[in-house]
Amino acid sequence: MQSTELSIENIRKDFPILKRKVRDNKPLVYLDNASTTQKPKQVIDALTNYYSNYNANIHRSVYSIAEEATEAYEKVRDKVAKFLNISKREEIIFVRGTTEGINLVAYAWGRKYIKEGDIIVTTEYEHHSNIVPWQLLVKEKGAKLEYIEINDNGELILDQLDKYLATGKVKLVVFSLMSNVLGTISDAEKIISKCHEAGVKTLVDAAQAVPHMSVDVAKLGCDFFAFSAHKMLGPTGIGVLWVRKSVLETMDPFHGGGDMIREVHKYETTWNDLPYKFEAGTPNIADVIGFGSAIDYLSQLGMETVRKHEMELTQYALDKMSQIKGIVIYGPKDVSKRGGVISFNFHDVHPHDVATIIDREGIAIRSGHHCAQVLMEKLDVAATNRASFYIYNTKQDVDKLIQSLEKVSELFKL
Amino acid sequence: MSDPIYTEIIIDEARHPQNEGTLENPDISQHDSNPMCGDSITLQMNVTDDSINDIKWSGEGCTICKACTSVLTQLIKGKNIDFAKNMKKEEILSELGLEYLAKQSPVRIKCALLSMKALKLGLYSYLAKKLAGSLSLDNLKEDAANLY
Repeated sequence: MQSTELSIENIRKDFPILKRKVRDNKPLVYLDNASTTQKPKQVIDALTNYYSNYNANIHRSVYSIAEEATEAYEKVRDKVAKFLNISKREEIIFVRGTTEGINLVAYAWGRKYIKEGDIIVTTEYEHHSNIVPWQLLVKEKGAKLEYIEINDNGELILDQLDKYLATGKVKLVVFSLMSNVLGTISDAEKIISKCHEAGVKTLVDAAQAVPHMSVDVAKLGCDFFAFSAHKMLGPTGIGVLWVRKSVLETMDPFHGGGDMIREVHKYETTWNDLPYKFEAGTPNIADVIGFGSAIDYLSQLGMETVRKHEMELTQYALDKMSQIKGIVIYGPKDVSKRGGVISFNFHDVHPHDVATIIDREGIAIRSGHHCAQVLMEKLDVAATNRASFYIYNTKQDVDKLIQSLEKVSELFKL
Repeated sequence: MSDPIYTEIIIDEARHPQNEGTLENPDISQHDSNPMCGDSITLQMNVTDDSINDIKWSGEGCTICKACTSVLTQLIKGKNIDFAKNMKKEEILSELGLEYLAKQSPVRIKCALLSMKALKLGLYSYLAKKLAGSLSLDNLKEDAANLY
């Protein structure tokens, strides 16, 4: 039975790291969840259990522990399918993370279908992982990369998409469902329906969205969809690329090797069925199994509840922070249009100085360009501070962040 | 209130850095950046008779980066190229009481030494060009790598 409120106290007990002290015996206040989240003991135990009790390679051998490992690994594919409302399990490919997922599309789909003169459209608030693979591709093909800009509120100016689509040259539109810097939630429905009308494929970078809100891939209607496990309580080094089957069937392999083949002869090879054609080599078995536990954990809480908690916390933080003199907050002010990611600058103090000073109070926030230098250029800043929340964060964490900024003010005599 | 890194000396130096600006026709112009944080600076120098008679810096950086860059330019200005080339990182760090920075924050040491890296890259490129290749790119890369 799901409740509509998170029991933060109970949740926090599941995360061993939240018990540790940092620096001068300060409790850790972890506010860098957009980078990576902490892991509950359920996930850590799943990894230990696999390595302790049924470590074996999958899809090959017939002995008992190999069968157990294969079953556990494949069960996670079904969990992903259920979690995101995906009807065909063979559309789900395990990759290293969002970055590898996007690169797989650029390589195995892009290199085959993007031609000279074609246009790929991305946005100004993309992570480098949704810019650089496309830069590499358009350079190779003599194609062009265009950007949907953002307005002063940190939202995409979607009229610009119409302009690009009207050229008839656009082959692919890529965008993140939630900005990792501004927290902005993209109007995916509008973007994808525009692209559908124009017969253009869409790729969704859901690295920031899937961990924090309920996502329905079937309803979304995109063609490619990628996200990472480590930003949603799971282990690092594992992620998912989902590709619509009709598209996936037309794609050539990404990596060649074991497991992705049906028959190999001296000069000729036939490919394995989907999705195995795209999972060459021994996969990251343990971390897929750990990822399964992370999905279980979130499913039990309910993604609507997770989202509600983060909206409340974000509203609280925005209210408190906007009262502090010298703080500039980037991105939408309306919490229904944004996730729990708050980027800010504090007077003229460089974010690295802010982060170093508040780290002494045990507070972990990110400072820097957040792998979004195109966006930093747009905002005309070298860097920002970023606090980002998750299920175990509390209003007290926000209060501590705000108190710690006072130390910055004192040192810099602001 | 005191802080092991953010002392008044450093904050003042960064607030009022020396030699900020650009040169019109510099003999040496070297840009470098720190991909981790976005610190990004350009050092420019004029050289007469093997002496660095003018030096300016421009760009964006955190307090540590700016303070160290300011101190570096003050130490270099008017000095012989060999002096600058042989300069050790400890000389900059000790000027600002940052001798223990590498221990306190291995990440932030890169902020402190960015300008020195640019200085060395710039000087070696200049000298390599001048000596027609007797100094190789490998040397300067190695020297730069040893900074951290």
